[in-house]
Amino acid sequence: MNRNSLFFYVILCLTTMFGCEGKENANGSAEEVDTLQMLVMQARQCSRLYTTEYHIHKIVTHNDLISLKGKLFNQDYQFRLPIGDRKIAFPIDATLKGYIDMDQLSERNFIREGNKLTIILPNPKVVMTSSKIDQANVKEFVSLTRAHFSDRELAEFERQGREAIINNIPNYGIEQQTRKNAARLLIPIVTKMGFNEEDVTISFSDDFNPSILLKSVELNTSEK
Amino acid sequence: MKKRAIIILVCSLFVIIAGTSLWYYLRHNTIFSADIERNDAIEVTPELIRSIKDIGQWEFLSVKEEELVDTVRKGIFSDDHLVRIYQGTLSIGVDLQQIKDHNIFFQSDTLHVILPPIQLLDENFIDEAGSRSFHESGRWSPAAREALYQKAKRQMMAHALTPRNYQSAQEYGEVQVRKMLQNMGFNHTVVSFSNGK
Repeated sequence: MNRNSLFFYVILCLTTMFGCEGKENANGSAEEVDTLQMLVMQARQCSRLYTTEYHIHKIVTHNDLISLKGKLFNQDYQFRLPIGDRKIAFPIDATLKGYIDMDQLSERNFIREGNKLTIILPNPKVVMTSSKIDQANVKEFVSLTRAHFSDRELAEFERQGREAIINNIPNYGIEQQTRKNAARLLIPIVTKMGFNEEDVTISFSDDFNPSILLKSVELNTSEK
Repeated sequence: MKKRAIIILVCSLFVIIAGTSLWYYLRHNTIFSADIERNDAIEVTPELIRSIKDIGQWEFLSVKEEELVDTVRKGIFSDDHLVRIYQGTLSIGVDLQQIKDHNIFFQSDTLHVILPPIQLLDENFIDEAGSRSFHESGRWSPAAREALYQKAKRQMMAHALTPRNYQSAQEYGEVQVRKMLQNMGFNHTVVSFSNGK
């Protein structure tokens, strides 16, 4: 090995050692460059009357246990491997809204008899309009022997938390609240058109039950 | 000689029976197996209703968006990347709770309805829990994820809240309200917006 080669290898080793860390700026944080790209945009005309808004809070927790499981002489065994803990907890805040699909209204939904008016509204539906991870309160506990949670793992836990909120929608009572609020909202507007309050009736289709609601739960954002 | 042959025969039978039994046992039973099992599911925790709000938002245009947001932390020899895909749906329409008494009136036989201005109905429109991780290198803090969320939100608003979309929402809103009024028996109606964008 001649002197030039030796010099080259020394420089290579030094650059490899110091090149692993990001370049820190004066504030101590690494320089960040952001780019944004729109993948999909779909605008759709619709007619939805949202009358109720629920704010749901859930703390998602995950305890990453690794265990050895198997069979020994046909007997099941399972024990936890002592390779350190890995736990995470984060709050999710979701907004659920109950709405009436006004696109479904036709002449048949309005019954006018003299001064009396009956409006038959379609059954309420529920949609999750937003969800937000409270990033300021994410708590992560990872032993030295374990790797930190990856972004992919976090996204999976967030998805499971979101699913749990959606599966619980029939228990929140949004549909009843949506009906009440629809009447509370529409009756004053209709009375301004010349009807007496006692002559206006808001009713809903009768075929309502919780299983229908669960079917009508629609996700505003597409499931992938 | 005969006795020896019998002993050999009995031993052979014993070996065959023992071998067959052992083969059958091994075939239908497990002597030893081991698998590493990981727990990928979240724990069961309750959902709490924080608040219930009465609203009156009539949506006329729904804009569904998906944004790829990318952050790069520059290093001397290697860069760290965090790429996420956010989804959101922006609702454009009117807030019926802003209707005042003087916004609905009759002029001779014509019913006039002045609706509140077309606007973005809810500033919280991103479904962050439904977002997807596309690529990650290096370690990123929750603050970096929050910054990505805010950038995705700003970008979605810039793309969706265009004069064209406001116009589209207003036109459809006018059609919907007029149709409803006609169904209620009002044949002469004028629908307008107080400050349409």
